[in-house]
Amino acid sequence: MNITFNKRDPLYVQVIRYFKEQIATGAFEPGEEIPSRRELASKLKINPNTAQRAYKEMEEEGLIYTEGNNPSKVTKDIEKIASVRQEMIMEAVDAFVHAIRPINVSLDEVVGLIEAKLNEEQPEQEGRK
Amino acid sequence: MIEVREITKRFGRKEVLKGVSFTAEKGEITCLIGVNGVGKTTIMNAIMNLTPIQSGEILIDGQKINKRSYEKIMFIPDAITMLPQMTIQQAMQFMDDFYESWNEKRAKELLDFFKLEEGNKISNLSKGNTAKINLLLGLALDVDYLLMDEPFSGIDIFSREQIADVFTSHLVEDRGVIITTHEISDIEHLIDKAVILNDGTVVKSFYTEEMREKEGKSVIDVLREVHLQ
Repeated sequence: MNITFNKRDPLYVQVIRYFKEQIATGAFEPGEEIPSRRELASKLKINPNTAQRAYKEMEEEGLIYTEGNNPSKVTKDIEKIASVRQEMIMEAVDAFVHAIRPINVSLDEVVGLIEAKLNEEQPEQEGRK
Repeated sequence: MIEVREITKRFGRKEVLKGVSFTAEKGEITCLIGVNGVGKTTIMNAIMNLTPIQSGEILIDGQKINKRSYEKIMFIPDAITMLPQMTIQQAMQFMDDFYESWNEKRAKELLDFFKLEEGNKISNLSKGNTAKINLLLGLALDVDYLLMDEPFSGIDIFSREQIADVFTSHLVEDRGVIITTHEISDIEHLIDKAVILNDGTVVKSFYTEEMREKEGKSVIDVLREVHLQ
């Protein structure tokens, strides 16, 4: 677990974003146990109150759940996981559109470039595994 | 809760603290930030009643400091106060004799955590390891409040990281910590609350997460604003 934090966004928001990524990509599997707030704080070197805050928000959002005194787990709700994935994709697309719009590129050109870029990065990613 | 209310302090004609107020809660890490000479150590000394103040008051859980308070609150100064010829073991014995709240089990745990040997003489330790022992002697007390004066200054990055790790561990959990620093960037993510001091007063005091959330500013951003004014 390794997050590079920026200093201006709330840390708990950055922690949640990281969890969402892991959940959306399946790196954290449904029903998988997650570290305690203490373990998380010490792994990420953040204030334990911040880790607590992140867990509380994720619990409320239904991303994780806790039964009794057991360790918290990743949600098993497939729809929820799909919606997290959708949310991550939309966020990325929004950011991309926001960045590309002022440059005035045609849709065809953009699609072509995205295709080329995705194809070009794929082998590299497999190479890393 | 430690409440510091409108305290003033003069050294001769020089007014060092001109009405400083802030609070530090249990279970939170409060950081006093300011350049050298701004009065951070003087505030800590005042909280511990090691130096008289001219006016204002300081309350610990609603009470003025008294002899029983010293089992409840501990000050870790920026330099070790043990005799250099002592071994770590002897220094620990010294603390045990002095304080009811000494927790031997925790002391051993901290020794392990810092990977230090009891038999070593304090005078033979490196600067970083001396700082760790200094910290250990304070952290091993079962006190509710810990004051730490510049625990990170003048030591190497790996020792700094190790000390920072203590803050996220159960060794500090649920206690109230006041820490001073003139170098915030290392510990920006570890603290709950920042109290910025300048020219003998509190210029700004805020929760770091709230500042990031509401204004999108890091502690350093706020510091810069304060110093540009």
